Amino acid sequence: MEKIKQNPIVKKIGFNRLVLICVMILMYLMFGAVCAMMGRASFFTIKRIFNALNYAYFLGFLALGVTFVIATGGIDFSMGPVMFCSALVSGYCLTQYGVPLALCIVISILVGAVFGMLNGYLVAYWKMPSFITSMASMMLAKGLGSVFTKTQSVSWPQITDPVNGWYRKLVKITVGDATIPTGLIIFAVISIICAILLNNTKAGRYITCLGSNKEAVRLSGVDVRKWEALAYVICSMLAGVAAIFYVGSYSVVQPGLGDTFNNEAIASCVMGGTSMAGGIASIGGTFIGVMIVALLQEGIRAVGLQIDYQYVVTGAIVLVAVYADIRSRKRRN
Amino acid sequence: MGEVILTMKGIDKSFPGVHALDHVDLEIRKGEVLALMGENGAGKSTLMKVLTGIYKKDEGTITYEGKEIEFENPSAAQEAGVIIVHQELNMLSHLTVAQNIFIGREIMKGSMIDDAKMNEEAAKLFKKLNIDIDPAETMGNLTVGKQQMCEIAKAISHEAKVIIFDEPSAALTETEIEELFKIIRDLRDKGMAMVYISHRMDEIKAITDRVTVMRDGTYVGTIITKDSTKDDIINMMVGRVIYEDPKTQSNVPKDAPVVLKVEHLNAGKMVKDVSFELHKGEILGFSGLMGAGRTETARALFGADPKDSGDIYINGQKVDIKSPQDAVKYGIGYLSEDRKRYGVVVGKTVAENTTMATMEKFMKGLFINKKKEDEVAWTHVKALKTKTPTVDTEVVNLSGGNQQKVVIAKWLTRDCDILIFDEPTRGIDIGAKSEIYTLMNELVAQGKSIIMISSEMTEVLRMSDRVIVMCEGRKTGEIDISEATQENIMHMATLRK
Repeated sequence: MEKIKQNPIVKKIGFNRLVLICVMILMYLMFGAVCAMMGRASFFTIKRIFNALNYAYFLGFLALGVTFVIATGGIDFSMGPVMFCSALVSGYCLTQYGVPLALCIVISILVGAVFGMLNGYLVAYWKMPSFITSMASMMLAKGLGSVFTKTQSVSWPQITDPVNGWYRKLVKITVGDATIPTGLIIFAVISIICAILLNNTKAGRYITCLGSNKEAVRLSGVDVRKWEALAYVICSMLAGVAAIFYVGSYSVVQPGLGDTFNNEAIASCVMGGTSMAGGIASIGGTFIGVMIVALLQEGIRAVGLQIDYQYVVTGAIVLVAVYADIRSRKRRN
Repeated sequence: MGEVILTMKGIDKSFPGVHALDHVDLEIRKGEVLALMGENGAGKSTLMKVLTGIYKKDEGTITYEGKEIEFENPSAAQEAGVIIVHQELNMLSHLTVAQNIFIGREIMKGSMIDDAKMNEEAAKLFKKLNIDIDPAETMGNLTVGKQQMCEIAKAISHEAKVIIFDEPSAALTETEIEELFKIIRDLRDKGMAMVYISHRMDEIKAITDRVTVMRDGTYVGTIITKDSTKDDIINMMVGRVIYEDPKTQSNVPKDAPVVLKVEHLNAGKMVKDVSFELHKGEILGFSGLMGAGRTETARALFGADPKDSGDIYINGQKVDIKSPQDAVKYGIGYLSEDRKRYGVVVGKTVAENTTMATMEKFMKGLFINKKKEDEVAWTHVKALKTKTPTVDTEVVNLSGGNQQKVVIAKWLTRDCDILIFDEPTRGIDIGAKSEIYTLMNELVAQGKSIIMISSEMTEVLRMSDRVIVMCEGRKTGEIDISEATQENIMHMATLRK
């Protein structure tokens, strides 16, 4: 075991992440086997993979964002509803007021940014606990989205829409029989940008450092408030991006929803090795975590179980991940 | 000489990369106070942690009351009667004294906690120990010394057979130490076995019967206290004779310019109307007892805590320091007494900590130039002789002295002109200590100025060019090193109003 861990290639990727990839592959094979045994339609189809990916995109952007917040030692419970609020507000602008689609995408991200600034300001400058603050802004996001659309759901245009259908090409492009998963490419690219932001820039350095020991960083003459607030802004802006990918896959958004996605995004993050205590974060881990949750979601449906079973399994995985995190930190000290 | 109650034999313990204990022996006897001595990092705490089940030993045997045992965890040790009185007190300050003593085993009346009964029992306990404390008093209202007494009473109430005192006197005043000693002597006469861990030589001479010395994780030897001299013990500890001579005159020229001037600084309850000047190339010692307001003065000056009033001038220019950011901008660096909390980010690497205050120097466009970062970190590691395998090692793996060097490297990278060293050698072994002294002397020779807060009298007398003494938040004295003695500093440090 130790020998495997010391292998330079394993070290580079990270042992925990390799384990996660194995878990993902095993899970995929297991769902396939169960489907076959129960005489259901095969799980090993392209369609299933695309279904899982559709789920992975919006969840992925949420999880990437919350990785930054968790790295500061905080938490954000508002991003799911913020994503819906963004989708509702921009979608309503598009369908009711005829605002051009490109501008609506910008509006979606801006709505996210506003919530991010609110959360960041209250947490970093007013020292409010992130847990309570984000709970409150979750309510705000749900309520304001609902008020804006007069409690109506919003249907975003289909791919067949000659004027506004193009945004769906961000998710996938169909050329003849082949389908190009553009969403996956965009998600991968943004993940890489996030990884660089976290590991190679001043912002990322200070965000993880202040998550580990905020007072020591402050006493080094660093404006910790600014960097802490930035993490929340990044998180909520990515929720605005997630909104576009949500409607790009599922078209319809209803007011008053979105909180279940918080848990799944945080779960993906923790699974990937980001420590809830702050200071340690892994974008690569989050990426794989998202894929596992998305696969789980599709797999559970494929074997014909209720969605509730997905919560049970995700909950169990999170417990294992958090336990592993605590164990490894105990060893380090 | 009492019978042996506990023996540790051939105890061996390794952590990744460190052989913390190398076949260490220890013998504790009834009715005796055993001093456990050694420099920091000698392995005293590790040995005690092995004893009380916080760490698992790799090798060796522990025999307690004739039986070989290994405690699973501290509460198992406590149950068996082996109890540590920690340096940091584990008290809940909002509860009463009695509630603290009986925590976890509250006396019940039906399903309710019987506070009256607990007060009564605690009062009995205090009477037995000749301690004068009201059991119904809130713990937070007591002095540190009294809190320590409560901790001891709590240990006794657990029917302790072996009590380990881990640097009990660190936060106590002279009178409180006397009271503590009275209780310890009393317990000794009643046959209690005790281990006393301390760095203060005079206390060792005053209170202990035997001294066991450790060095670098090994057992050096055990001697009878009254048959040995201070130098004998120090020689065993360091393996060489050290001689610390005080500075006799200031190294600062009379006409050296004033780099920092503080006027009528007020901040909270602990800093009252403090004024002083710091000259170029000077080491200005801040002496005083614990709680004299020295750290608070430094923190207010550095902008770490808000100040109520007062003016600060740097090189004659009035400056407005509202946050550490401002202070750093004006070239002030602060090395905290509590490195782990305020100095280093322990989960990050040596390199990351070194560049913490100077990130902008290490940017290549938007990105961090990690190569340059590593280079600079290596330069400091070599110059300061920091013991670390690589600059990518997380600081948590370094010893106290080496962590301090990382903090120093952080401010050297920043090239600060005014450095505040708050207890620069607390928790650091003697070897690293003299290295830090040499470094401080080099810094002032380069024209930097240092404010040194220190509770160690020898350190103050050895390093300072001038000494400022504080008591209860006020400046009670200022004295040139040529006139400073232990006695006159101590006198000023106790000038209560």
